[in-house]
Amino acid sequence: MENLIVLIPLFPLLASICIGGLHIFSVIEGEKSERLTARLANYAVGLSCLIALLLLCQDCWLGNNAVLTLGNWLSVDDFVIKLGFFTHGFSLKLAVIFALLLCVVTRFSVNYLHREAGFHRFFFVLSLFAFAMFMLVLSATALGTFMGWEIAGLCSYLLIGYLYHRQHATENATRVFITNRIGDAGFIAGVVLCYLWLGTINWLDIPVFIHQLSAQKLNLIALCFVMAAMVKSAQLPFTPWLARAMEGPTPSSAIFYGAIMIHSGVYLLFLIRPLLELTPLIAGFVAVIGLLTAFYAYVVGLTQTDIKTSLIFATSGQLGLLFFECGLGFWQLATWHLCAHIIVRAYQLLTAPSLLHNIKNTPIEGVHGFLAKHHRFYTYATQRFWLELITDWLIVKPVMNLASDLNYMDKQIIDPLMGSPAPTIHAISSLAQAQERNIGAHLDSTEDTFAQGSGLAGKLTQWTASILNWFESHFILHGASDDVFHYGRRLGHIANQTELALLRPRYLVTFIFITLLVAM
Amino acid sequence: MSAPLKPSHSNRMSPRELISDALAHIDHLLPAQGPILNFVHHNTIHGFQHLPFDDALAEVEKLTGITGYLPEQTMRQYYEKGRITDTDIFAALAANKTLHCEEVFCALPSQIIYRKTVYRLALLFDFSAITSSQLVWQTQTLNALNSAQSDVPKAVCDRLFSNVAKPDSALFDLWEVILAKLHLSNTLLHSEDLLNLTSTQIDAWFAQNQVEANNKVRNAWSTQANDLFTQHFLSLGDAYTLRGLVNQLTGVDCLQFVQPQLIRLCASALDEGIASWSLPERHQLGLFGAWRAMLSYGFHDALGQLPTAKQIIDELPENAIDTIIYHLSAQHIPQEKWADYLKRLALELPGWAGMINWREHHREYSPANDVKPTLADFLAIRLTLDRLWLDKICRETWHVDARLDKLQAYFERNIAEFDIRYQLYNGHLPEYLSHQAEELMQFSHYKKTLTPKFQQLADVIWTWQHSPLAEKQASTDAVYTIAWRAFRLCQHLGLNAASVNLLSETQLREMLYLLDEFTQTERQKIWLVAYEWHYRAQIFHCLTENYLRGRWYQRNTRPTAQMIFCMDEREESFRRHIEELNPEFETFGAAGFFGVAMQYKSVDAKKFTPLCPVTVTPTHFVYEREDSPFSLSSIAHQKGDIRYKKYHYLQHQSVRRYLFCSALIMALLAPFNLIELVARSIMPRMTKKITSLLHQILVPNVSTTLHITATRVNSNEQVMGFTDDEQALRVANFLKTIGLTSQFAPIVCFIGHGSTSQNNPHESAHDCGACGGKQGGANARAIAAMANRLEIRELLRDKFEIVIPDDCWFVGAQHDTCSDDMSWYDTSAIPQNMQALYENFKTALLKARDSASHERCRRLRNLQNSISHQEAREHVKERSADLSQVRPEFGHATNAFAVVGRRALTQGAFFDRRAFLISYDPTQDLDGKILEGILLAVGPVGAGINLEYYFSTVNNERFGCGTKIPHNITGLFAVMEGSNSDLRTGLPKQMIEIHEAMRLQLIVEAKTCVLEQIYARQPSLIELIGGGWVHLSAKDPDSNAIFMFERGVGFVRWENDNATHALPMYETSPDYYRNHRESLSPVLIAQPH
Repeated sequence: MENLIVLIPLFPLLASICIGGLHIFSVIEGEKSERLTARLANYAVGLSCLIALLLLCQDCWLGNNAVLTLGNWLSVDDFVIKLGFFTHGFSLKLAVIFALLLCVVTRFSVNYLHREAGFHRFFFVLSLFAFAMFMLVLSATALGTFMGWEIAGLCSYLLIGYLYHRQHATENATRVFITNRIGDAGFIAGVVLCYLWLGTINWLDIPVFIHQLSAQKLNLIALCFVMAAMVKSAQLPFTPWLARAMEGPTPSSAIFYGAIMIHSGVYLLFLIRPLLELTPLIAGFVAVIGLLTAFYAYVVGLTQTDIKTSLIFATSGQLGLLFFECGLGFWQLATWHLCAHIIVRAYQLLTAPSLLHNIKNTPIEGVHGFLAKHHRFYTYATQRFWLELITDWLIVKPVMNLASDLNYMDKQIIDPLMGSPAPTIHAISSLAQAQERNIGAHLDSTEDTFAQGSGLAGKLTQWTASILNWFESHFILHGASDDVFHYGRRLGHIANQTELALLRPRYLVTFIFITLLVAM
Repeated sequence: MSAPLKPSHSNRMSPRELISDALAHIDHLLPAQGPILNFVHHNTIHGFQHLPFDDALAEVEKLTGITGYLPEQTMRQYYEKGRITDTDIFAALAANKTLHCEEVFCALPSQIIYRKTVYRLALLFDFSAITSSQLVWQTQTLNALNSAQSDVPKAVCDRLFSNVAKPDSALFDLWEVILAKLHLSNTLLHSEDLLNLTSTQIDAWFAQNQVEANNKVRNAWSTQANDLFTQHFLSLGDAYTLRGLVNQLTGVDCLQFVQPQLIRLCASALDEGIASWSLPERHQLGLFGAWRAMLSYGFHDALGQLPTAKQIIDELPENAIDTIIYHLSAQHIPQEKWADYLKRLALELPGWAGMINWREHHREYSPANDVKPTLADFLAIRLTLDRLWLDKICRETWHVDARLDKLQAYFERNIAEFDIRYQLYNGHLPEYLSHQAEELMQFSHYKKTLTPKFQQLADVIWTWQHSPLAEKQASTDAVYTIAWRAFRLCQHLGLNAASVNLLSETQLREMLYLLDEFTQTERQKIWLVAYEWHYRAQIFHCLTENYLRGRWYQRNTRPTAQMIFCMDEREESFRRHIEELNPEFETFGAAGFFGVAMQYKSVDAKKFTPLCPVTVTPTHFVYEREDSPFSLSSIAHQKGDIRYKKYHYLQHQSVRRYLFCSALIMALLAPFNLIELVARSIMPRMTKKITSLLHQILVPNVSTTLHITATRVNSNEQVMGFTDDEQALRVANFLKTIGLTSQFAPIVCFIGHGSTSQNNPHESAHDCGACGGKQGGANARAIAAMANRLEIRELLRDKFEIVIPDDCWFVGAQHDTCSDDMSWYDTSAIPQNMQALYENFKTALLKARDSASHERCRRLRNLQNSISHQEAREHVKERSADLSQVRPEFGHATNAFAVVGRRALTQGAFFDRRAFLISYDPTQDLDGKILEGILLAVGPVGAGINLEYYFSTVNNERFGCGTKIPHNITGLFAVMEGSNSDLRTGLPKQMIEIHEAMRLQLIVEAKTCVLEQIYARQPSLIELIGGGWVHLSAKDPDSNAIFMFERGVGFVRWENDNATHALPMYETSPDYYRNHRESLSPVLIAQPH
């Protein structure tokens, strides 16, 4: 009976492979195939839901084993990764709630996306996402969880950019995707460290071994996972990505950011609960971040004027509280809070277009007291505390400038050194050039054509010859003239510029990174 | 539209007047859609309505680049389906006198080619030029020189190959002949070949471009670049703002920084109840003032990233108009361009500008949030933000401020840079050149002087532009342009090589010139007319065939029951089914507020809402009151209502509004939410039943009546209720309008309509347009209650000579056009002896209602064709309760014509829910006074609905609001796409999918002389009909003649080309529509006797 757990993620995976595959080969296409696609997706997630309910019933009455291990997924030498699933407890309960909501949303989407150009694409991604989420909650190994984690992130990217002809949608999708990669790095680092130091990446085995580790190592592992959780659940300073994710169709907004995916960060905290209990420092950090996020999202949320954004900041606020509860160790409270939040938020987002009806006669309560008196805070809230601007300024811009610098170096120094294809350099490529050539002038050529060569060796010879030639003409033939001072000054200027450039933060940071890498 | 301000005119005005004047003109160009809760259909381009239709569309295209005609592709599909025929096309061509379509173009021994032959081909097939690469593809891959083009019809193809010696090489010969005639040769290049020019190529281009040896290439280039530069800077204001200019030269759009700021600010100021914290001090300071007050807190410049922010903010004037002047002067925009510049600026975010403009002009609209924004506020803020970011961009790129004069001066010195930037960021360059250009742009950050590099690249670009690869379509004589077009045209004309040989080069070129002259817009106009004519001929044919078939032509017997519906075309099928099933029932149609314009408050509502057309401001207040306000049930109702509202507050507001409390509330709500979600998705209908049952238990219904009779007459304008005289006047006028002044049936039912659906921000667009986008049941209830009062009946008899028999009872009802549910009002008041009659009537009506639901379902794509009436009924109910349904109903889609006249005219014909039916009896209105009133009301309303659907259909992305999928409700007044877009106005894609974009045919049963007099008197009708926004025709009341109104000519009798061809007659409506999904042409339905 417990073996059935495998089917829970398997059905949606099969459905998504079917839909995707058949769509690629144009077997299902357009409006006439909508029924088939919808059936595949609905049946798959419906069956998963039934199995999950069945297993939950069994777990409640008879009690399941905690984990079903299916065998080795990967084994290289002594590097063994097992394929296992939780069949008991919180993970199963969460899987049931997810399955129910996925059912609801899949059914909802059938009518909602009827006759949309991306109908099949949407259901492909939705099924894939269902698979990913079931993997994420049910997998008993960190790697399985990570797989679900990554695929869910990818699906979220694809659905934010669902209307890819809209520039806002694609920009925001990319931004969200990239922000999430930071968390993924944390996750991977966590998994790797676990394997290196503990020798296992099974969630249930980790608590057995962690007592052997030093506090610093524990802290580091916990921090890595916490980082992943923070990004995924949009805690400070990563909160802004969530508001950008509201570009997709309503059902996907509901399922990804209202109900399911956004909570995987909190779920990860539940998974590393034993670790957190041993690392009060990190737990404290989680609590502080959570509380800060809650207040941040609350204050910003008060000023939001469109329903999706307003709901999403409310979500952020509750996620902050959940982090706070987890950080303080109120796990039972967090469990209830988590489940309730998932359901209520899904409900709210799915009924968001009905808002005009629902709140027509019940005006919202305004702010009063401290906030109402201090207009300054209103500014901060509408500007969302400039959080995105600050991260841009701190991270995005330096990285982009660095890339641009490298590109420039590539084009100006490396490419000529490696030798470019000769014809493009020397052929006539414009009528003006041709005309000049006819007249016999070489006006456009600033380079001395005393000698010419291509490739490194050729260039070296050419340069040596030109430098000697130049030296000769400027210093020997003309004698020590103004030129000497002129070139001296230019040399000094260039040296100055280089020094300034090297002192720019982006280079400093790069050097520090390089040093660290070398040191490690 | 605003006439462009003449410079001489503007010189006399002070800057402030100039700006106010410009803002007043912008008013006409912005969308006039108000808050979405009262969605009222109106002509999307209402600001251009004073122009004739075609001219207005041309103006709109000039201003916004949006074409207002259906794409040719769609029209060609209609042609294939037989919805447009050759007859229609030739008729439409003939109607356009400038085309001279009957003239012979050239006479060949094999055939005579008329101009219209060429025009017809131009309509049906695509003869546009292709690119050189496409030519390669055509000749090498698609074998275009060996086999005929795939779209050449079979018959023409046969003619093409008959009388040809060698059929195999017939097309190749044709191609060769055409090339020879046009003196062209076939050479093809790849664009990167240009990197390595051969001397022959160079010589050829020198010769071709007449660059003489002494006139150096550089000079030619420089002239061209300077022209481009001058032209570009001159069109600032007309074509784009400074933002557009900088965007075109840097590829950076400052709007991407400005838009989120601007939208958040405006949404916060206009918000009607989503956010609990809105822009402080907006009541006192207004939008601009409140924003200005916020600036000191580093509103936009927290990190000091905007170089000029401090200075600009310090200097910012206090008043919006002064701010506009300040920025325009500071940026050195010439004063004569200010008006155009502001117009352009407003049209960059038309949705937001339009909403703010609407609020400015509707001061009486007072939502919870009482800020009074003005368009000037919006533009002043926009200009300030633009300037902050533009300064940043310009300083980073060129080290100058974003000032027109500075930029001009900079580029005068760096003309090559201008040339490259312009070509690059306008997407004019092929890949190999754009790569190089982009690289240069990147490196301009590193090197101070790149002038020689810029110059070099500009030369290369110039060379490319003058090579045959630049694909300057139609302007050059290239193989892939004229030869290819001639090749295709000859094939479609069925001309083989021998025939073409007989043509002179001039003739061949003239043939292409004819195609050029017949531009896309011209073609689309012809298509539209042909399309409309085809359908009009069908309606007219049906009307003439139906002559004297309809019942109640002479109203000399008393029907069993009478129903007065809204004129809405959705009720057409309902009425038809009623009459098919019950020959003793008579139906009428009228504007759905039934002549009772009122401010109405239902028992649970907090405030009064107007229920009447938007052009009317009602002064009479009517409220619904409980019959026994202190009874137990009444108290239970009030308590229940309060609890219900509290629940809604918890569910939809608290959970967003509070941080800690909401965690508690969620724990409370979660189980119910989960059950509701699952239940709704598995069984929406059952869930609706259960929830409404629960609602019934929690908030028990109470019996109510309308308080319609005035108790006191206030001295001020607002009057509670109507006096007896006023009531009698309204009832009498209304009855006279629809021609019901005698033969009252025992049951006379007024049926208003509304629509309920879930998850649908555009719900009110489905409600009654005549009630200002609200549900019209209350109006039906009010007029029925008035007409039932004995005092009123006495007054009607004495004053208006309308005798209502004592055994006649008026009933008010409402039809939900989405779920097809009927609500009945005040039925307990029906006298005991009439109850049985009423019940019979109700049963009969509900049966017809089921048939109407069934007919409606035929157009729903996800349903089987074979469903039963019962299933159809259940389905539409489910649809209105389904959270996930984005097409709860199709609203006014497919509306095409309006008939003002006796029902006898249309009864017995199947009009497929496409006709507004307005009852009017010409025999009771000899001087046309009543008709005048009807036309003044119906003309604009019908045209508004029709034109909104028309424009939303022809370009749903730009005139409409696109697909509903990403819609997001903003501030309770509009929808955006995602969280950061312009407000989307117009109709969503889901509402217009089945619509057929054609202008309204207004068919009036009246003498042409009466109509001519009315037309001459009423400027609004002259505008609509004379301008071609609506087509008018007259059906003679005494004969079977129909007269069409032709603009500039007058009424012309319609000749039936199909007179011999009898219209099919079906036994019942379902016999006809069964198994059909598409729109159906009018036919006759047999009538029971």
